[in-house]
Amino acid sequence: MEVQASKDVVATVRGVLADVLGLSPERVAGFDAETPLFGALPELDSMAVAGVLTELEDRLGILIEDDEVDGEMLETFGQLVAFADAKARA
Amino acid sequence: MIDYYDWPGGREAMLRFGPADGPVVLVAMPFWEEANRTRAVAVAMLRRLADRGIGGALPDWPGTGESLIATEQASIMQWRDAHQAAAEALGDRPCYAVSIRGGALIDGFALLAGRWHLTPMTGEAVLRDVIRVRAAAGLRGDEHGVFGAESPVRVAGNRVSPHFLAGLAGAEPYDQPGVPRRVVRLGHDRAPADRTIDAVPPWRRAEPQEDPELAALLADDIAEWIASCEG
Repeated sequence: MEVQASKDVVATVRGVLADVLGLSPERVAGFDAETPLFGALPELDSMAVAGVLTELEDRLGILIEDDEVDGEMLETFGQLVAFADAKARA
Repeated sequence: MIDYYDWPGGREAMLRFGPADGPVVLVAMPFWEEANRTRAVAVAMLRRLADRGIGGALPDWPGTGESLIATEQASIMQWRDAHQAAAEALGDRPCYAVSIRGGALIDGFALLAGRWHLTPMTGEAVLRDVIRVRAAAGLRGDEHGVFGAESPVRVAGNRVSPHFLAGLAGAEPYDQPGVPRRVVRLGHDRAPADRTIDAVPPWRRAEPQEDPELAALLADDIAEWIASCEG
């Protein structure tokens, strides 16, 4: 399934995952909306989640409240992009 | 070389690099798990500085590394005292602080020739990260929970004393009048800096990684800054 969001946001989320999780750009480029993240990537521990969120804030100029952080937004690549996209549009 | 220094609460290990005289940098690492992730880059940076004739010291703080003190017993005031004691143990060479992230909050007591801060954080920013890591770990991380906890607060596998966290409130990196300070930041960080380097911050990496290019860039920046300070 294709990811529905602005190209900038999709590229930013890919870049953040590659940088924070130390994944190869090729691997991250292969992520689609259904690619599972939380629970599926061993690299995504609590420090990494915090790092991903903080980097997304810095790169997209958004502010993420801690009560918005839940397993659902991190479940798949598509859900993380949708969350970031909604924030970037707000 | 593994050396040590004495501080009022005991003795801690200190890795030493480079020549035994001339300018020396004293590294204050980021806090907790970030220190583990940053260590490889810091050591490579110190080796490069040694190649350029600048000494280096990388101490453990009370409750970190080989310290006999439990992590949960450590306080930020102890770390400031330990930083000062480590600087004094380096003798009367010109000593420059190289402080990374939260490390910039503990270099305020020592007599230093200058402070070089990599992505310095306020105490509030450190606390915000703590709350976020705990939120990500599925733990309740509201302020009351953090400050009111009787037992140590778990932060990414480290047991941190509530006293340590309380000591962060209102803490700011020290910019001492008349003493040179340089601020370097990495990546997409937009906060004010003397220089921003396009690199992935090592403390963000889920797995500690070598980054010889970044280590060399940082070491060269420090060496040139020290040369300008020494005039």
